[in-house]
Amino acid sequence: MASEQLWSQVAEKWQTSFNRLNRNEPGITGLLTFSEAWVLARDFLRPRDIDEPSPKSTVNRQQLRAAFDNLAQRRMLTALLEEFLEDMRWQLPHITKDIEGLMKQYEATSDPIFIAGCISRLVLWHKAWAPFPELGPTVVNAFTNTFQTHVFSVLPRSFSHGFKSLVSATLNPEYATEPPVWITTLFPQSGPPPDRWDKPLWQAFEQLGMTERYESLIASVCYEHVEAHMIETYSKVWDRECLSEARDWMSQHILPWLLMPYAPNAKTVEEAAPFISGIGTRLDYHVCKTLADLRTREIFDIIVDFPDSRPALDDLKKCILRVDHRSTLVKTLRKENAHRLLHPGADTKMILQQYVSIIKCLRIIDPQGVLLFKVADPIRRYLRERPDTIRCVVASLVADHESGDSLVDENDTVQPLQQAQVDDYSDLNWEPEPQDAGPDFRTNKPSDIISTLVSIYDSQDLFIKELQVLLAQRLLAIKDGNFDRERRNIEVLKIRFGEAQLQVCEVMLRDMTDSRRTDQHIQSQKNNDTTQLHPTIISRHFWPSLQTNTFTMPGQFKTIQDAYQKEFKTFKPDKKLVWMSHLGTISLDIELDDRTVSADVPPLEAAIIELFSQKDIWTIDELIETIGSIERPAAVKALGTWIELGVIKEEDANTFRLLQVADAAASSKTTQRPQAMAVEDEVPIVTAQQQQAEQMKVFWKFIEGMLRNLGSLPVDRIQQMLKFAPGYDRSVEQLGQFMEAAKREGLVSVKDGMWKLS
Amino acid sequence: MEQVSTTAAGRGPQKSGATGASAESAGSVTKRLSQELMNLMMTSPPGISAFPKSDSNLFEWAGTIEGAVGTVYQGLTFKIAIHFPSNYPFVAPKINFVTRCYHPNVDIHSGAICLDILQDKWSAVYSVQTILLSLQSLLGEPNNASPLNTAASQLWDKPTEFKAELLRLYRPAEDIN
Repeated sequence: MASEQLWSQVAEKWQTSFNRLNRNEPGITGLLTFSEAWVLARDFLRPRDIDEPSPKSTVNRQQLRAAFDNLAQRRMLTALLEEFLEDMRWQLPHITKDIEGLMKQYEATSDPIFIAGCISRLVLWHKAWAPFPELGPTVVNAFTNTFQTHVFSVLPRSFSHGFKSLVSATLNPEYATEPPVWITTLFPQSGPPPDRWDKPLWQAFEQLGMTERYESLIASVCYEHVEAHMIETYSKVWDRECLSEARDWMSQHILPWLLMPYAPNAKTVEEAAPFISGIGTRLDYHVCKTLADLRTREIFDIIVDFPDSRPALDDLKKCILRVDHRSTLVKTLRKENAHRLLHPGADTKMILQQYVSIIKCLRIIDPQGVLLFKVADPIRRYLRERPDTIRCVVASLVADHESGDSLVDENDTVQPLQQAQVDDYSDLNWEPEPQDAGPDFRTNKPSDIISTLVSIYDSQDLFIKELQVLLAQRLLAIKDGNFDRERRNIEVLKIRFGEAQLQVCEVMLRDMTDSRRTDQHIQSQKNNDTTQLHPTIISRHFWPSLQTNTFTMPGQFKTIQDAYQKEFKTFKPDKKLVWMSHLGTISLDIELDDRTVSADVPPLEAAIIELFSQKDIWTIDELIETIGSIERPAAVKALGTWIELGVIKEEDANTFRLLQVADAAASSKTTQRPQAMAVEDEVPIVTAQQQQAEQMKVFWKFIEGMLRNLGSLPVDRIQQMLKFAPGYDRSVEQLGQFMEAAKREGLVSVKDGMWKLS
Repeated sequence: MEQVSTTAAGRGPQKSGATGASAESAGSVTKRLSQELMNLMMTSPPGISAFPKSDSNLFEWAGTIEGAVGTVYQGLTFKIAIHFPSNYPFVAPKINFVTRCYHPNVDIHSGAICLDILQDKWSAVYSVQTILLSLQSLLGEPNNASPLNTAASQLWDKPTEFKAELLRLYRPAEDIN
């Protein structure tokens, strides 16, 4: 029963199929026609090795059409397609062999011409096998899919690399004027030559679906090209704005090229716009990023070149806005600074100059100062450790602009130093801190450079102290009595530091003018022989300590000094005049038997030659003893001056004789030599550092005293006991270092942390 | 210090006078002693030295005296203890030898010293430095008229025997603390 039913069902199906194929033709003629049509169509479609002669040309076009119609009527096209794809699969090894051969050649030579050849072959295969488009999109798509799947699956790994070099060849500017030879042989064009030489190549890519598949590759070629171009063209070019230039170049050279891969069918630029806007934006970003990277790498030198490099900074500012490069910039600049600036080889003045430039440059890039804050921190910390930072800053404060020492522009208005600002809650223009600001970031409103430099140290007192020392040096060095410049400096500094801080300097300045007045008064008394002496009278309490090497001037100098002192006492009875005999200059005319020698010399030299007027022969020890409290090297130097001037001569070791009559040999020697520069330029003011060393000597006496009387002590006990020493302010660490130094000199020894005198 | 005296002045004028005066004198003694220490440290005369024993108390000092060259005490170092009274310098400091010292004017056991400027001849113009210098010279030139150590004073005229006795009793200075 059941089998009978099944039988009838099968029979019915058979009948339907038969009817479909036979198309109600009498007998089986319909079936026969179908069979003929099938064979014809299949044979036509069958993929063949393209190197064999193709049968297609012999086929009757009409017959073929009839056959396909027949098959379509019988709804057998799907079956035909399957058959076709099956046939294709059988034939694919031909392509594989072809590709492999060409790729092997490429791998051996790395010449992209083989990639071009490979593509040209693939195009041929594709063309030869493609079913005609009348068969409908389904067939064509199915074919394309199968073909591409196979091709991409057999392409070796090296292909993408080769493809990349082939694509970059299309960017080669040389080919723009003279296209490579292979393009015409590999991709013969029937029509007129295309407007771009590489057009056939792009068409081939498109045909094989490679544009889509290798889009990222094509984009990366473009990026790399842009990057290489920019680095080549804009490295170290800081004197013009490169960003806009680069953008122009992009729109002139890269954008037209982009049309090929991204908008192959667009006829006009407007038509292409939607296709290339995406890649265009990405490329613009890439341009900014490349420039930002480049300028970040060069940032240190850009800052060195400032202000000539201003356009580069403007570029960097724009780029950084676009690509958010701030942290990299900070990191790079910090590293560069540590590497190139903050090391012992760099001069403090240079570091300060670069720091000032950094301040100016980073303010251009980031007006809010977050970058500056982050970069400046290590520099400031380093400068704090340098012993001569204060001196350099102070020197630049009072430097004249001609000498080039100044760190600030002449045009900067002088303004009071700014203290760290507290937030002003009533400020309507308040802006929040930038998001990359650190927790200890202070919004520095654009403050002037000097304020920034002075704020390296917590206290201004150090500057004032150093300023005093410097001012003392400069005042004492002035010989023509013109203090206008110093007065101007002091006035400028008063605005910066405030009146009260500079009172001491004011007193120093007044001492100078007062000295002249006093001197004029004393000279006007006429009843003495003080006319040759013009002292500068300074108030001890207001001046930094001068080196206290006072010796007594002998002979006539002493007489003059005493006479002056007497006059001074009557003029200003409440003051005491103490001579600093080692400072100043003395103009001398030495009358000898046969000649007169004129010289401007320091007092010690004068003192020594004065002694020679008492007797002709002195030993150096006698001289030192007579003058008193001078050091041997100083005496030797002073004697050297006179020997060079040919006034005295060293007879035996350390014995000197006055040459009343010029020594022939000596005078000829003098003429050969240039006139000795006997006048010392540097006024011996005790610097802060020397003062410290001086203080340490005092502390050492205390340490010695306690160790002698109390035996051995641990270092913290010494530290405590040192509070007896006036002005002791060192830390235990500093004391420890000092003790170690003393140990090295063999003054003390240490055992189990207990120090004792050795 | 001023603040202390003004608040005290509010409570009672009589009391404030006393407090202020004593505080002031303590302050001036400290100042004087600091000054003396500073002078001593800066001049550092050869062979003598002294320093406060602790940083909290300026009234107790330890001193060192080296025997002068040419005397029997040459090459020996003596430690002394100095105690300043609170009304120094109007009263002389109390000085004892810590190192055992065989000397006509020094008690061999207690280290007490018989020196006129430390007793009736004391004057406020003397300082630690002058006392130490006096002690150093006393070692070489004892006052045999008022001996504390009669045996030593009798032996003084025989330097060789005196030195032998001195060295027998002498113990080199140990650390005080």
